[in-house]
Amino acid sequence: MTNGAPLTTGGTGGPGGSGQAVLEFDIRVERPGFVLEAAGSFGSGTTAVFGPSGAGKSTLLGVIAGTVKPSAAHISLNGRTLFSSRDGIDLPPERRRVGFVYQDAALFPHMTAERNILYGYRLTPESRRRLEPADLAGLLDITHLLHRRPGELSGGERQRVALARTLATSPELLLLDEPMSALDLRLRGIVLGYLKTVHRELKMPMVYVSHSISEVIAIAGSALILESGRVTAFDQPRRLLSRASEAVDDLGVDNLLDGQVIESHSDGSPGTVKVGGARLIAPTGQRQFGEKVVLAIGSREIIIATTPLTGISARNVLPGKVSSVAGDGVRRVVTVNAGAEFLVEVTAAAVSELGLTTGSEVYLVIKSSSIAVMDAFGN
Amino acid sequence: MGPDISIVLLSLQIAGLAMAIVIPAGIATGWLLARKRFRGRFALEAITTLPLALPPVLVGFVLLWATGGNSWLGRAVNAVFGVDIVFTWVAAAVAAAVVAFPLSVRAFTSAIAGVDSRLEVAARGLGAGPMRVFFTITLPLAYRGIMAGVLLGFVRAFSEFGATIIVAGNIPGRTQTVPSAIFTRISTGDDAAVWRLAIVSVVIAVIALGTHNYLLRRSDGEAGRAAP
Repeated sequence: MTNGAPLTTGGTGGPGGSGQAVLEFDIRVERPGFVLEAAGSFGSGTTAVFGPSGAGKSTLLGVIAGTVKPSAAHISLNGRTLFSSRDGIDLPPERRRVGFVYQDAALFPHMTAERNILYGYRLTPESRRRLEPADLAGLLDITHLLHRRPGELSGGERQRVALARTLATSPELLLLDEPMSALDLRLRGIVLGYLKTVHRELKMPMVYVSHSISEVIAIAGSALILESGRVTAFDQPRRLLSRASEAVDDLGVDNLLDGQVIESHSDGSPGTVKVGGARLIAPTGQRQFGEKVVLAIGSREIIIATTPLTGISARNVLPGKVSSVAGDGVRRVVTVNAGAEFLVEVTAAAVSELGLTTGSEVYLVIKSSSIAVMDAFGN
Repeated sequence: MGPDISIVLLSLQIAGLAMAIVIPAGIATGWLLARKRFRGRFALEAITTLPLALPPVLVGFVLLWATGGNSWLGRAVNAVFGVDIVFTWVAAAVAAAVVAFPLSVRAFTSAIAGVDSRLEVAARGLGAGPMRVFFTITLPLAYRGIMAGVLLGFVRAFSEFGATIIVAGNIPGRTQTVPSAIFTRISTGDDAAVWRLAIVSVVIAVIALGTHNYLLRRSDGEAGRAAP
């Protein structure tokens, strides 16, 4: 159906992992004015599906989950055929063992969190149950929320309950459709941490649809870029960064940077985190020297200056060089290498006033309070 | 007062049987109309709405023609049960059901359409088959709207006159309902009896419509929506 050999990706940390294919698919969906053609083979790691709105990301997930009918397809999961137009196989969603987590959680409003979680668990044959609701509640830190109804939960809590509800069915593959897009940056960091825990503790293969390159980089070992219904790239997420920022207009660009605590204070005052060649003063809290962390910095929270600023309250002033300026319209995303790659969103007017082009020498100004520090899991 | 009570009880019995027909058939129809795109959808919509638009007397005539002793349906019922249903309380219930059906179906359709279909999709993904999804997700979330449709249909069935009198007649003690009794009392000039039955009708209608409005108001708030 698609041209060329299927793209493949391996196990846990991206290409180079176990290499055993979990999900194999070759699908074609035709709708008036839209054709989605994609083939691939995903391993046991986390694969991100990334691309602009309307590229077909959710359609791809829907076809895998069995809620969208393809025009033609072959899909298998751990060697079990889920759909085959040739053999006339089309397993209904409830028999695919594919877990789905939605953008807005889609919890059942008439049931408590606990009954939501037990809904699918009770429908899972005992012989296939690998995950127990109580353990999942502990893992996702929702034990104290179990008696509440969805209306009484915050966005991040709802998403964790939804994750537990799906995992309680012991799926063989977890599909996540922009599970963070309804959450603010801080909550994203927290939920992302839980997702990494899920991946590390449960060895759950995941396909993660996202708008946000930073999320993709933070969570996925490999990423597939979908544009206008076609796969245009399949690689390690960091290598896709430059490509992705070409389509930056509606991509929620934020910085999620891997780092290590190199200085901390027992009184909980801001410590220092080493990120690549940069050192950032950030609220490290009670974290110890040497701990691995992920820093989340909104791309609009960073100020670009062309001269070294002194006498300001911001704790971080990092010298760097502009490596690219992308985007059209009024917003621009400037990538600055200041020991690590930082994405900074500024207006087009600012770009021309400061004369920012590739190679410009700049200073990044970042308040330590606008940096969110999260624990890194299995990075 | 004695005969009045038996008239009211018979009316309630007829409306009750009518709703026993309307509820399962109406919910199934409402679900089809709310959730499925299929060939003949418009025809189904038209057929279920028609009794609302036509004079009930005409509906009664059509029913008489369809269920009478010479019709295939009438013969089939006679063959199975050994009785004619025409001019029995069962015929009155069938007439009331046909007339109440469109009102209930409208309410059922909008109640089911108001349930976020993604919740049903989510339930499928968690391992529930279509029937289980319907009974554990769709129905509980549409519950208030469906109850409203039941009450609306019940009120309509209780007060049905035109179609009933054609297929069931106006036989005291056997098919005489509150509306047909009122008709008889008016014809014979027994105004006091008319007023007594009028009060009963008003009380039943007020109770039913009051409950209906109460349920609808509550359903605005919570039922049927995904958590925000």
